[in-house]
Amino acid sequence: MTKKSKDKLVLTLGYSILIIGCLLVLLPLSWMVITSLKSMADITLSRGLALFPSGPTLENFVNIWKEYPIAAYIKNSVITVGGSTLFSVACAALCGYGVSRYEFKGKEFLLSFLLVTQMFPAVMKIIPYYKILCTVHLNNTRIGLLIVYASFSIPFCTWMMYGYFKSIPTGLDEAARVDGSSAFNTFFKIVLPIAMPGLVATVIYAFLQNWNEYMFASVLMSADEKKTITYAISTMADAYKIQWNYLMCAAIISSMPTLVVFVAMQKYLIAGMTAGAVKE
Amino acid sequence: MKEKSREARNYRLKSAFTPYGFILPASLTILLLVVYPILYGVYISFFDTNLVNKWNFVGLRYYLRALTDSSFLHSLWKTMVFTVTVVGGHFLFGFIFASILNLKIKFRTLFRGILILPWLFPDVVIAYLFKWILNTQGGIINALLMHYHVVRVPVGWLSTSATALPCVILVSIWKGYPLVMVQILAGIQTVSTEMYEAAKIDGANAWQRFCYITIPALKPILTTILILDTVWVFKQFTLIWLMTSGGPGSSTMVSAIEIYKNAFSYFKYGLASAQSVYVLVICYLIGVVFRRLLRDD
Repeated sequence: MTKKSKDKLVLTLGYSILIIGCLLVLLPLSWMVITSLKSMADITLSRGLALFPSGPTLENFVNIWKEYPIAAYIKNSVITVGGSTLFSVACAALCGYGVSRYEFKGKEFLLSFLLVTQMFPAVMKIIPYYKILCTVHLNNTRIGLLIVYASFSIPFCTWMMYGYFKSIPTGLDEAARVDGSSAFNTFFKIVLPIAMPGLVATVIYAFLQNWNEYMFASVLMSADEKKTITYAISTMADAYKIQWNYLMCAAIISSMPTLVVFVAMQKYLIAGMTAGAVKE
Repeated sequence: MKEKSREARNYRLKSAFTPYGFILPASLTILLLVVYPILYGVYISFFDTNLVNKWNFVGLRYYLRALTDSSFLHSLWKTMVFTVTVVGGHFLFGFIFASILNLKIKFRTLFRGILILPWLFPDVVIAYLFKWILNTQGGIINALLMHYHVVRVPVGWLSTSATALPCVILVSIWKGYPLVMVQILAGIQTVSTEMYEAAKIDGANAWQRFCYITIPALKPILTTILILDTVWVFKQFTLIWLMTSGGPGSSTMVSAIEIYKNAFSYFKYGLASAQSVYVLVICYLIGVVFRRLLRDD
């Protein structure tokens, strides 16, 4: 076989695998969209494979908006997740920079401990969190959940920022320091702007992780008006009868923010990960 | 002169503290919200307690009981099977897709965007979506199978012991491979193309280039991602809990669910904490072993 025809074969095979992969991703997701546009009658009575016996409808979206305080759920999620993302990325950027630029006692320990924190079973932390938040009267408050979420994302975010800062040559810092810039100023005004792609990748990661969190929201935010949207979906399904079309509507609504954040920032995500990557 | 040396000492003192200033906010949060809760969890494991007014010290009794408890050992076995297959799947698909996306192909951004999608949806959404797709009443899989006369009665994919675990595993692979794919893709792009060109000239085939250039260059990233993915999957709770709650019987009862049930259904907080400590130790050992095995020599 000539080299050219071999390359062509590889490419054809590659395209086929990609297309099959994309179909496997898109088919289940499109079923979610299709279900959300069905009337309840079409779901319970549908025979055969006709998609919309009585035509697609948007009334499910209108109805769940009326029947559930969706806006309040989204607001809860935005405040807790947005707040925790800002807080944890700020902490992570500072910590990652410090670890990448300075030698100090306990540095190795800190780095390996960040990995170890990922190993603690989440279930084990629920009981203590519940007790702590009750003690300081922060259970069922958004600020309580915000702090808890921040503690989840700080370790891995620090790791990501550390990787990114390591990829930036230290020459710039040294030049700035020689010119009399303080350590914090050097970090904030010189290095951080260069590290923007890494920072954005970290923000996306933290946002996704916490927006998608379920277990802690279910235990720490039991009051109805304090539920996050992710947890609220599961309580809609707990009712006597699952209305799949409603549930899929809620699922779509709750997924929109992460999709929007991702589409808006995907350019930076790949760039940020490419330069920094998570390496030891 | 004296003034100057004092200034220098001050400066040295200040710069000795500088790194601690940078790591302080993160360390403090981790100390308060990760270390303290964990220590508290270990503390609970020594007590027969209802967390309010009953605190009977029982020493290591729960640790011994967990070791002889067949349902806990069974859950660890299930977790093992689940973790190995799911992480294997993540890396298999992550590698395949990342390698292809790195070729000179058209519509790369589009393909990449679609393949990343599963990562962007909350676990809760994915769990209910597949529960609906696999449902016995109105689920599309059963509808299709019956329409084409493959089966005559709907299959209870998630309510049959034989199929529940494979289904949960497939869904977990579907949900989780994009993170591995993105990391590998990011890593591959840092490998210089010159090395591949040089290897090509020296007559190395694609497989050899993969083994001797790609893998070694990716090793640092792979080690971290492998450890993290393994412990994350090991602790997976939401997907399984919402799809099967550990059932039917105990066919999908991984240790995270076993522990959750002990704590919040049966209120055996001490036992649940002791079991958590075992899981923590196992995850830690996994990390140590992987690092040993994959260390750069």
